[in-house]
Amino acid sequence: MYEEPYKWVEAVGNRRTYLDEQFKEGAPVVGVTCERGILLMTMSKGTPKLYEIYDRLGLGGMGHPADLEKLRFNLLEMAHVEGFNRSASDVTGGRLVKYGMAPAIKQAFEEVFKAPFIVKILLAELGQKAGKDGFLTINYDGTFEEKSQYAVLAATSAIEQKMAGYLREQSIASLEGAVDAAIRTWAVGDRAQRRALDEGEGHDEARTSPDQLAMDTETLYAYLRRCIAEKTVECALLDRHVQGPSKYRALGVDELKALLPNELSPLLS
Amino acid sequence: MSLQSDFYQLLKEQGYVFGVLGQAARGQELTTATTILAFKYRDGVLVAGDRRATAGNMVMYDRTDKVLEIDRHSVMAIAGVPATAYEMARILEHSFKYFRRTQLQELSFEGKLRALSKLLKDNVPAALAGTGAVVPIFAGYDFEQEAAKIYFYDILGAEFEGVDYAVSGSGSPTIRGILHYVNTWGEQPLSAMPEEQATVQALRLLTSAAEFDSATGGVNREAGLYPVIKFITASGVRTMPDAQLKPLFEAKVSRHV
Repeated sequence: MYEEPYKWVEAVGNRRTYLDEQFKEGAPVVGVTCERGILLMTMSKGTPKLYEIYDRLGLGGMGHPADLEKLRFNLLEMAHVEGFNRSASDVTGGRLVKYGMAPAIKQAFEEVFKAPFIVKILLAELGQKAGKDGFLTINYDGTFEEKSQYAVLAATSAIEQKMAGYLREQSIASLEGAVDAAIRTWAVGDRAQRRALDEGEGHDEARTSPDQLAMDTETLYAYLRRCIAEKTVECALLDRHVQGPSKYRALGVDELKALLPNELSPLLS
Repeated sequence: MSLQSDFYQLLKEQGYVFGVLGQAARGQELTTATTILAFKYRDGVLVAGDRRATAGNMVMYDRTDKVLEIDRHSVMAIAGVPATAYEMARILEHSFKYFRRTQLQELSFEGKLRALSKLLKDNVPAALAGTGAVVPIFAGYDFEQEAAKIYFYDILGAEFEGVDYAVSGSGSPTIRGILHYVNTWGEQPLSAMPEEQATVQALRLLTSAAEFDSATGGVNREAGLYPVIKFITASGVRTMPDAQLKPLFEAKVSRHV
């Protein structure tokens, strides 16, 4: 069936359509640098989406939990064996993604007789010096991008651009500022996704296109208040100030309450 | 199906071999290392070690760190062949991190003790051949028991709990007796001592070991060389900086030697 090239191209195209469908209801992920380190943020329903990979590497993911687990284990294995055989400073996000994970994801995507990985991944790397922090995002087809100040994952690249545009306008210095900007950016992405879903299902209230959605702070906080009631706010920090080699730590409820804006913190439980 | 949590097993599957059997060449002196101790004090456990590494009669190095932080709540102090001991520490460090990151929970204190025991067991051929004997002390905070604990091992991998204290290395016979005496008939038991008093005690013990054991390094004030002293409490491992050891040594230890 796929012996002729154009049929293979058609099959890959179908696969792209199928995969795009799978992310429509996923939770966006936001990564942003600040003076304290790198903050990763998302909201989840039960299954966590933020993970520690190595001393200075954290991961945020979207997609099928089983696929995310498989790739997370591959990353952990590569990082730890490399860190043991060489040194921790040889374990870099760039090496893991470019020579390890991206080729494997691309291969799975193009082998049309096998199942692809239903994942989008954001890898955050805390630099040895301030200003050297970085992000890598990998799409389900194995394409990856490198970014420096911030990175996001969302259902479509249009929504990712919308989130990145919103984040670009924020002035972030403190951890508190990073949490506030990240959660609002998350709301921008999740609202746009939900609106796109409603439109697809022909709901009347979805007449406004995602581009026309209001993005003022009060509207976003009101939206977030509804989300917090249904989901768990997940935040992790690659903390420059932590003693010892392992810089990753998840932010607990008490710490998050102190960091979130007053409009949202009382809702956390 | 497996839980994919064992880093040491993963290394072995990739062809890594630990504890290779080898025979010490006749007349060849291996580098070894010397006096380490741990005891419970008021707030947790103190672990200390001198800085000297020797090969026969020769001092190889006077800045050796024998009190190795394995993770935020565990310390391994090493006596024996440093090459093997450092390799063990690296395996343990990666094993604990790998477990935490894959399983999304800390390895239990008991699991950490077993991990070291397994490494010592795999190292038995090298230890008996004379090329890799290591006799460590492992101390850490046990969150299940809510207490800092001390364990010591023999070269075959058997683990024993040091209820009040543990010692290892060539200088240990000297200070074992002192520890027993101080703990039993001193003004107060070791476990009641505040941090500063415990630090002074550790400095005096290591200075005593250096007095009678040539393979244990004492304090070298001219070079600014002091023993390594670490504290383990529920909030983690902390190292006493040399800047704090120096005045304590001068006020409470040096005037007596």
